[in-house]
Amino acid sequence: MLASLFLIGTLFATPPMSAQAASQTVVEDDAGGMTRAVNRMVGGIVSYARWPDAAPASGRIMCVVGTPRLTDRMTPDLPGPGAITVRQTTAAAVTPECDILFLGRMPVGDRRQLIAWVRGRPILTITDDDAACLYGAMFCLNSRAASLSFSVNLDAIGRGPLRIDPRVLRIGRGEGGA
Amino acid sequence: MNDQPTPPVERIGTRTTLQKLLSRFHFGITLFAVALSGLTILLAGVTALRGYADRNMELAAQLGAYGVEPALVFNDPQAAREGLEPLTRIPGIARLRVLNDVGRPVTEWTSPAADPAPMLTRIFFPHPFAVTVQRNGSAIGTIEVWGDSSTLIDYVRLGLLAGLGCLLVTAFGTVFLARRFEYELVKPLNEIATVAHDVRLHRRFDKRVQPLGIAELDRLGGDINALLDELQGWQGHMESERAILAHRASHDPLTAMPNRAAFDEQLALHIEAAEARGSRFALLFIDADNFKAANDNFGHAAGDAVLVALSARIKETLRKGDFAARIGGDEFIVIIDPLDSETRAENLAGRIRGSVAEPVLLPGGETYRAAVSIGVATFPDHGRNATALLTAADAAMYADKLTSRSR
Repeated sequence: MLASLFLIGTLFATPPMSAQAASQTVVEDDAGGMTRAVNRMVGGIVSYARWPDAAPASGRIMCVVGTPRLTDRMTPDLPGPGAITVRQTTAAAVTPECDILFLGRMPVGDRRQLIAWVRGRPILTITDDDAACLYGAMFCLNSRAASLSFSVNLDAIGRGPLRIDPRVLRIGRGEGGA
Repeated sequence: MNDQPTPPVERIGTRTTLQKLLSRFHFGITLFAVALSGLTILLAGVTALRGYADRNMELAAQLGAYGVEPALVFNDPQAAREGLEPLTRIPGIARLRVLNDVGRPVTEWTSPAADPAPMLTRIFFPHPFAVTVQRNGSAIGTIEVWGDSSTLIDYVRLGLLAGLGCLLVTAFGTVFLARRFEYELVKPLNEIATVAHDVRLHRRFDKRVQPLGIAELDRLGGDINALLDELQGWQGHMESERAILAHRASHDPLTAMPNRAAFDEQLALHIEAAEARGSRFALLFIDADNFKAANDNFGHAAGDAVLVALSARIKETLRKGDFAARIGGDEFIVIIDPLDSETRAENLAGRIRGSVAEPVLLPGGETYRAAVSIGVATFPDHGRNATALLTAADAAMYADKLTSRSR
């Protein structure tokens, strides 16, 4: 309730400032550590999202556009049974069939176009190429030192029909939240 | 009858009053009841409270599990700490710990407040409450909650206070009950004791125990009353017996007149009274003339009849308050008291002479005319003590006898 009020508040106030980095996942210090951390984080974020059709997160289709910066093996690790189908695609080939859009490194124009296209559709957007979370993706992964974190763009979430568990928003918003 | 002497009743050194005994008894009973009910309530309360405390811990653990779930998903200790924050404000939680899916601690929190009663905590919360955190049906971690005694201590404190209050009420109640019992039981007993005491000390055999409200005591009172009835009967019998004996001792069996001993007593009394008042009284010494001859001529039975007739006539002539006695075989004495100016002893002596002179019918059918000699002595004129008065009266009687012989 308070979180949604906060959402509405931020919608009209200062859109770029509503994204903050907070989460600090510890990354294990070995070869696949970052990959495991990214997949776990993406899986966790997806598991806390609710699509309007109320179907569970498993079986959703994730379309990866561009080149992910943090890992080259994108296989989101959903907590519990089930898995997410991952498709590598291009900005031009994105269809409404995609439930999740992972935006890797890509031209700024493509990204802007995709964000605009997503607006109003039940599509979860996650990026790892926007540390400040300013370009309109709902969730932004950020790697610093030996840790991985994510930020939430409340404006982007507020515009879409997707519902995100407020506990995740709280983690993504960091300290000092409602 | 058993001749063996009954052994003396053993006496107890220190005694307690019935009221004290009852009070002690009451206190014991009431204390027992209060302790029993208090213990029951305390046990029931503690059991119920333990149930609530367990439930509270469980709910806290569930709340914690909900709060730390995303943190465990994202493996984020900072978020886990934040997720635990609502729990740290719940009283009665000593320690929190979040473990991840492989059992490694993610975050931990310990209450800064010291445990008020560690022993109570050990009894009530020997183990932490562990709730498995699940996400989509698979365990992703565990949250453990340790309770402490801070919520219980209030109840225990309140329980102890209530117990103390009950104890106070018990004490007051006991005093009240003891008072009540004193009124109900000790009062009737005291009544019985008072009657018994009165009877023993003042010989008040007419005292009786009033009907009492308590059946047993009333029976006791009734028995005591019956005993008193018997005692009173004995007492009355003894008194009449004693009166008869006393009469016998002081009276002449033939004429039923007071005897010499009674006369001596009376004379002493009259002297004392006359001395105190400053009044006078007269003594008439009466002696039958020729009584020996009558006895010899007509026999002893006739002599006795003459003596009885003499005494009856002397008594007839006496006024109220005068006193007559037979002090010897044919000797009578009369005390005339008071002796005022109008009453002259000589006149009375004359009347006695006249009355005696009437013929007496003897048992043999003959008649006998008796004659008496009378000597008068007056107190204090003829003497101030018994001996002097008697001597004077005796002498006057002899003088009278001589005169009458010469007549």
